[in-house]
Amino acid sequence: MRNVIEANALKLAYPRHEPVIKSATFEVNTGEFVFITGASGSGKSTLLKSMYGSMPLFGGELHVGGMDMGSISGSKLYKLRRHIGIIFQDYKLIKEWSVEKNVMLPLIIAGFPKDVCRAQAQKLLTHVKLSHKSDKYPLELSGGEQQRVAMARALAHNPFLILADEPTGNLDDYSSQVVWDLMERANEELETTILVVTHHIPEMFSAQYRHLMIENGVIYEIH
Amino acid sequence: MRSIRHHLALILPLFAILFCIEYLLVFDRITESYENRLKENYSLILVADRSVKLSDISHCDTLIEKTEPIDAENVLRRIKAGLNHESVEKIRSIMPLFISIKLRRYAGIERIERLKSELMSIAGVRDVHIFEKVHDRLYAMLLFMKISFTVFSMLIGAISLLLLMKQMTIWQFEHKERMQIMSLFGAPVWLRSGVLFRLAIVDALLALIFVVSALLYLVNDSSVRELLSAIGIEPEIILRLDDAAVLAGVSFAIATFSATWVVLRFKEEQ
Repeated sequence: MRNVIEANALKLAYPRHEPVIKSATFEVNTGEFVFITGASGSGKSTLLKSMYGSMPLFGGELHVGGMDMGSISGSKLYKLRRHIGIIFQDYKLIKEWSVEKNVMLPLIIAGFPKDVCRAQAQKLLTHVKLSHKSDKYPLELSGGEQQRVAMARALAHNPFLILADEPTGNLDDYSSQVVWDLMERANEELETTILVVTHHIPEMFSAQYRHLMIENGVIYEIH
Repeated sequence: MRSIRHHLALILPLFAILFCIEYLLVFDRITESYENRLKENYSLILVADRSVKLSDISHCDTLIEKTEPIDAENVLRRIKAGLNHESVEKIRSIMPLFISIKLRRYAGIERIERLKSELMSIAGVRDVHIFEKVHDRLYAMLLFMKISFTVFSMLIGAISLLLLMKQMTIWQFEHKERMQIMSLFGAPVWLRSGVLFRLAIVDALLALIFVVSALLYLVNDSSVRELLSAIGIEPEIILRLDDAAVLAGVSFAIATFSATWVVLRFKEEQ
C-alpha cells in the first residue's frame, strides 16, 4: 500500500513563535480514513495546512502524494492541489458565485468542459441534498448547507486525498450526518484517502478508524 | 447598482486621464500650427554691402532656413517719384543689398537677439532688423498657454492616478478572498485573476468609448466648430485616428497595469 502522506520528524512553526508541532512522524496509506484529534491550539489545523502547502515546514520532512512539501515548487504545488479535496471549517465558498459554480470550481480548474462540470456538480448536489438550491448564493444558505456545498466541491474532481478541518464543527446533526456519510462513501467506494482533524470523533467512528492525537506538539498513534 | 459603482470607479479616472492626454495632443497641434503661421509671417531683414548667401550665415544658428534677396527695384520704385534720373541712379549706386532671412521656427526674443549679434559680426553686414515686438508678444502668449495647459492636465492626470491607485487597493481587498480560495484549489494565476483582467479591459474599453464619443460630439458641435474657425483652426484637429490609437493604447495599458499590480500583490495567507 502506497503512502499518501508521510511525515518524518516534522516541525511546524509560525514566524517568531515557538514550534506548534515539535515532532510528527506518521504515515497515511492509500484508502485510509484517519482522524487527528487534539485540544484547541494544539496545531491540528496547522498540520493540515502544511499538507496542502499553506504552511512552510520548519524542520523534518513531509511528503504528500509523493511530493516533498519542503522543496516543492509553486507550479508543482498547484498541480498537487488540483488532486486534493479540502474542506475548511469556515467553508471558504466564493460568495459571488452560485452554489453550482462553487461545486464546479475544481473541475473548472482542471479544464473540463462546462457541461461536464455542470452535470458533475448537479450529481454531487443531489448527494448532499441541495440540488434545489444550485442557483442560490452561499450567503443565502445556512452554515450546515454551506458546509455540504463545500463537501460536494471537495469531491467534485474525485481527489485521491481529502483533507478536512473540523468539517462538522459548527453543523447541526442532519448536516453532520450528510457530510460523514459522503466521506465514508468516498472512502469505501472510491478508495479516497481521508484525513480529518477534529477535536471530537463522532461515536460511530470512534473505534472503526485510525486515530492520531496531538499533544504538546508531538503526534501519537491511539489506535 | 454596486456593479455600476465598481465600473465607474475605474472608468472615471481613466476618462479623465484620456481626456487630459487628448487635450495635450490637441493643444500641442494648435500651438504648432500657430508657431508655423508665426514663422511664415516672420523674417529678419539683413542690410549688407555685399551679397550674403545661406552658406555664409548658416553657422550663426541652426534656426536659419533660407535667405531670399529682396529686389532693390521695388524699393526704388517707391521712392523715385519726384526724383530725376540722375538722383535715382545715384541712390541705386550707393544702395545696400536687402536680404530676407527665413527661420525654421520662431524661437523667442533672446535667441533672435543672439542671432542678430552673430549676423552683425559678419563682414559686410551693415544692419539687421528683427521686428520682434508683435511676434514676440504672440509667441510668449502661446508659450504661456502651452505651459499652463500642460501643468493643468498633469495635475488632473496625477489626481486621476491617485484615484486609480485607491481603486486598486479596493480591488485587492475585494478579489483577495476569491483568489485565495481558487489558489487553494490549485488554480493557475491566469484563471484566478481572469475576472480582474476582464473587468479592467471592459472598463478600459468603456472609458475609451466615452472619451471618443465626447470628442466626436465636440468636433460636430456647431458652436465649437464656429469658435475654432474664428481662430483659424480646423475642427478636425480635435480628434484624429492616430489620437484614438494613442488613447486606446494608454487606456488598455493603465487598466492592464492596474490588474497586474493587484495580481502581483496577492499573497496566499497562512
